[in-house]
Amino acid sequence: MKVVKSSIWKEGFLERIENRVEWDQWTLYKMNYEITKENLITDFHGLKAVDYLPNLQLFDHQLQAAETVIEEMNGKAILADEVGLGKTIEAGLILKEYLIRGLVQKALILVPASLVNQWVDELNGKFHIPAIAYRKNYALEACQVVVMSIDMAKRKPHKEKIYAENYDLIIIDEAHKLKNHRTKNYEFVQNLKKKFCLLLTATPIQNNVYELFHLISLLKPGHLGSFESFQAAFSKNNRHDEAEEFLHELVNQVMVRNRRDDTGMTWTNRHVEIIPIQFTQQEQAAYEMVSSLKETSPIFSHAFSMITLQKEMCSSKEATALTLTKMKERCTNAEERKEIEKVITTVMNVERNAKAEKAYEIIQKANDKVIIFTEYEASQVYLQSYLYSKGITSVPFNGRFSKSKRDWMKQLFEQKAQVLIATESGSEGINLQFCNHVINYDLPWNPMKLEQRIGRVHRIGQKENVHVYNLAIQDTVEDHILNLLYEKIDVFERVVGELDDILSHVNEQQPSNSKII
Amino acid sequence: MYPQQIHSYLQQFFKENNCPILSSHEHYLIVQLTEEMDKKIMNRPFYWQYIESTGGEPVPAQLTLITNKNKLNQKVVGEVIHFGSPRLTQLFNVANEMGAFVCMYEPGRPNQEAILTPWLVVNYKVSYYSHRTKEAIYSLGMNLMTGEVFKEFQESLFQKQLQSTIPQNTFRLPYTIKPMTAIDRLDKIIEDYILQDDHTWVTEAKEKWEKEKLVLEYFYEGVEVKPERYQMEQEALARQYKSKIKIDVVNGGLFYLKGN
Repeated sequence: MKVVKSSIWKEGFLERIENRVEWDQWTLYKMNYEITKENLITDFHGLKAVDYLPNLQLFDHQLQAAETVIEEMNGKAILADEVGLGKTIEAGLILKEYLIRGLVQKALILVPASLVNQWVDELNGKFHIPAIAYRKNYALEACQVVVMSIDMAKRKPHKEKIYAENYDLIIIDEAHKLKNHRTKNYEFVQNLKKKFCLLLTATPIQNNVYELFHLISLLKPGHLGSFESFQAAFSKNNRHDEAEEFLHELVNQVMVRNRRDDTGMTWTNRHVEIIPIQFTQQEQAAYEMVSSLKETSPIFSHAFSMITLQKEMCSSKEATALTLTKMKERCTNAEERKEIEKVITTVMNVERNAKAEKAYEIIQKANDKVIIFTEYEASQVYLQSYLYSKGITSVPFNGRFSKSKRDWMKQLFEQKAQVLIATESGSEGINLQFCNHVINYDLPWNPMKLEQRIGRVHRIGQKENVHVYNLAIQDTVEDHILNLLYEKIDVFERVVGELDDILSHVNEQQPSNSKII
Repeated sequence: MYPQQIHSYLQQFFKENNCPILSSHEHYLIVQLTEEMDKKIMNRPFYWQYIESTGGEPVPAQLTLITNKNKLNQKVVGEVIHFGSPRLTQLFNVANEMGAFVCMYEPGRPNQEAILTPWLVVNYKVSYYSHRTKEAIYSLGMNLMTGEVFKEFQESLFQKQLQSTIPQNTFRLPYTIKPMTAIDRLDKIIEDYILQDDHTWVTEAKEKWEKEKLVLEYFYEGVEVKPERYQMEQEALARQYKSKIKIDVVNGGLFYLKGN
């Protein structure tokens, strides 16, 4: 084993004993000895930071995650706890520990714009770390710990300023947004120097296992071989167990993932149901008419626009008509325009909305606060007026609201309204533990979005059992979406590990509280 | 260190270094640096070069240090100091540099003669590095008359009244072991001691290293000409897991103590 010694002290001592240099002061000598002793890392295990955060309630899984990242992963890790277990706390704890140990002098925290202030507040309030929110024209060299929106950071001139700094620790929140390696965000992060780096995401795989390749490559570039060979080894049609085993091992080396069940805390139950719905006859006819549009005009033959329209038809006629009107405007052929107008008229003539009626039924039965997630703003508006007509108060919510508006809506929901209607962008960073019913009015393509949505209410602080209702209209595109969701969940579980319920079991059409996916 | 501790540490530190505290509140303080301290911590060599070459009047900096930002109600512009902040780490390093060597004497009782024995004390900081870190202080003291060595020596000295000038009515025994020789002997003792220590941590690190190498190899199986990034990953693993022990001296000195 290598033992490294320095002879500097000995030389200094010789100078003094030969009276060439004066001796030091006794008080400074004592201070030096005492502070060195105080700062010692006396054990291979354990965190010093804990002693300095006496007022912070830390859970075992959070301590363990921070320890693992520092002791086993050399500060390069994906923090992938399930939503609501406190990834921010874990990251704050790791940052604090590194600051105390003197291993981090400068840290950069990249987060979605809507979460900047929340991070600054938590680091200051909970960890006594004087983090600041970056504003234009700030001198970065003077900031020790800075929180910045990633969309701002990747742009000129901020990008260049950041590259010029030497950050010891980089924390990236909502890191699943980096799953696509062709984006500016990915390129920006890839080119950052990373001594220590934490990627925070509850959903490291959203659609396929290649996303994991890109995330791990940010931490350990080159560890997974080339993308081509990785692709070959893990393609859907070519599964083999050995490859999965090695991937699993690697995942263990870079990822910490706590599940609710392993936290040792008592969690309220999660009841997930798929609620099958039948269209009314009118709706069914309109849906088929919309679907047949693909034969009418090349504009609709593109699979993507067709599927969008079908999904919208499963949501509300308002959403469908809005998109159809936009498409009509792009249409140059007079006959085609006429055809589309006919469809719009049929769609708008639909009298009832079976899904909205079901949602209303659920809200009435719950007789409690409910969150509805929809993918479309037109449906959001429609649902609000529909519920109003039924005497139910609701507030809208979306991620584009300013912070103060979001806080206000949250407050209105908590104190006045029964229902909060959120679009997808509303499902990040807002915590609504006082509510325990979630209706997924529209299903997203990506199962992790469901997990994010449910995570708004099923997190530390929730006292009631959580009810999740996934609405799906039978014999429509939503059947197909459900199948895809199950497939993606399967990929996730094979590579990363189990997921809490987000859909109920495939063959289980009965309302159930079973724990199987 | 808690905010309160940091506050009193700063006060003491600047006092000992002759930097006047211009104003001290509960949660912040303003300090006037001396020329010497400014040169040490303000990192502005060009300013000092300029002053010295032009013979200008030097103006050492004043620092406002906020020790508890959370409890501060007033608006104060200054540096926020917390445990882990670069400034505090820097001051620790200065203290480390300025409190490294002493020569101290134990006074006798008034009107009574005392014989003082010379001791050499070295406080070692030993750091064990692999993917994990552990540090320990070993304080060794050698009697320069007899060559006896005691552990945990420094702590016992803090109990004593010591002074930096030769006390009256004392007789200092000459050393039979030269201090420089004693340093070499203590170095050898500490090294032997460490090598005999329990080193399962080294084996553990090696095992983990091997395992990670295996995973890395797997993803490059059959690749004949391995790319540069493969080498970089190998080196990164080596940096992470290679075990190493580092021995530093925190401080030490010559002590003339009563008795033997």
